[in-house]
Amino acid sequence: MNNELLEKLSECVEFGKINLASPYPPQMKGLPGADEITKEALEAGVTPTEILNDALIFAMNKVGQKFSENKIFVPQMLLSAKAMGASMVHLKPFFANGSVQRKGVFILGTVFGDLHDIGKNLFAMMVEGAGWEVIDLGIDVKPEKFVAAVQQHPTAIVGISALLTTTMVNMKPVIEAIKASSPSTKVIVGGAPLSADFAVTIGADGYGKNPQEGIAWLDKISA
Amino acid sequence: MKQFIDQILQSSKVVALPVMTHPGIEAIGKSVREAVTDGQIHYQAIKYISENFDTVACTSIMDLTVEAEAFGAKINLPEHEVPSVSERLVSDAESVEALVVPTLDKCRIPQYLLANKLAAENIKNKPIFSGCIGPYSLAGRLYDMSEIMVAIYIDPETINLLLSKCTEFLINYCNALKATGTAGVIIAEPAAGLLSGDDCMMYSTLFVKQIVDAVQDENFTVILHNCGNTGQCTDAMVASGAKALHFGNAIDMEGVLKQCPSDVVVMGNLNPVGVFKQGSVDSVKLETRALLQKAAGYKNFVISSGCDLPPFVPEINIRAFLETVANF
Repeated sequence: MNNELLEKLSECVEFGKINLASPYPPQMKGLPGADEITKEALEAGVTPTEILNDALIFAMNKVGQKFSENKIFVPQMLLSAKAMGASMVHLKPFFANGSVQRKGVFILGTVFGDLHDIGKNLFAMMVEGAGWEVIDLGIDVKPEKFVAAVQQHPTAIVGISALLTTTMVNMKPVIEAIKASSPSTKVIVGGAPLSADFAVTIGADGYGKNPQEGIAWLDKISA
Repeated sequence: MKQFIDQILQSSKVVALPVMTHPGIEAIGKSVREAVTDGQIHYQAIKYISENFDTVACTSIMDLTVEAEAFGAKINLPEHEVPSVSERLVSDAESVEALVVPTLDKCRIPQYLLANKLAAENIKNKPIFSGCIGPYSLAGRLYDMSEIMVAIYIDPETINLLLSKCTEFLINYCNALKATGTAGVIIAEPAAGLLSGDDCMMYSTLFVKQIVDAVQDENFTVILHNCGNTGQCTDAMVASGAKALHFGNAIDMEGVLKQCPSDVVVMGNLNPVGVFKQGSVDSVKLETRALLQKAAGYKNFVISSGCDLPPFVPEINIRAFLETVANF
């Protein structure tokens, strides 16, 4: 029974079935989604850790893989992330009381001067789905806001996103401010105009060309 | 259109059409903000490009906010960067139903029409291409880009209504651009490149085709630009009926040239950032030559940047690109 619920939940997340009311995907229309199945699983005695590891992380890993192979695209990925989010709502109390451990804290924001957020949002959802606690600082984030977030979460890893060639250069002062305040904090950068070489020149510790690469780097750095 | 398309298809030499206005804006000592708000300055920037670079045609500014602003979206106008939409304008069926298709006297639209008119009237040495956003990308700016990606599955009726309103406006706008005397329009539809091929067909091509059918003729070419396409949207782009397609650097041009009909002009796709902005003269020459060699034998190929050149691209890199094309 428990395994069956975990499988169903995993399927909901993989195919983006958010809740009963959601018409997507068409083949699951009228069926319960990640929201209802998570509730049912918890009531049936499935532990939050099993839900996180055996359904959500498992499914989001498959989603990320399919995305990197061009088998699914941004809308499908966002729907999966929304389904995962609907499940996560039920797990929040267990995260808060410490009964479920996540891999770590990831602070993320779009660099100051830049208002774009689709890449950042996508990565935030994928990182959360990979088992991390994500603190999303939003768009147009100034160095002092990153620094304050790091001071609040000293073990966190920081991600900075940029879409514009004129704003990607703003990443350097953000990294400098973070390192000045907390030299051991690791920073990963990403965004369409960036390259691995550029990441090195601005003092970033990591560069994610796509969500899968970014998550692999996070997992490696935290291992 | 026939003249421009025939010139390319019948030429034995590859021609270059980088999408660029920022080098012109910088050369005349103006800021991006001044150029996107003042049609005279915008025109002067195009004029500079037409007089100083050996390109087959010139383009107007690829500003993907002017149409959203006309609908009522709030715009952020930085000094040295293209503007961006700062918050969503519509969020549900009710707000989309209430959305009014704007007239062409709203916000910066008259300044854009002025720039195109001045360019078409005064630049005689090469054709001028106007620019506008594509319907899906415009709808995404109005509805929020992340949200529209989900809404096409959760609430497709609302999104189709929004797309219809965007398309109605874009047809009016493209007809007004055509009336200025330009040779065509580059419809920039980057957000559609984030969709699957089927979704691109349903939520972009069907609407782009309405614009193409309304404005494209022998004297006015539609160039459909989709720099997000990594290959899955190419058939949908061809199905739009646009006589020229413009591709981004994420795609393999050799594959695209094989896939596209030989009577459709195929443009692309050197990385505007990695090659033009961050590269050296030598690396620009190397990359340009490599692409020319890949596309050799395809008479419908026009070498271009994969997207609009961003601000502050070194002019020596643009010259290295054009020289390499001329000497190939």
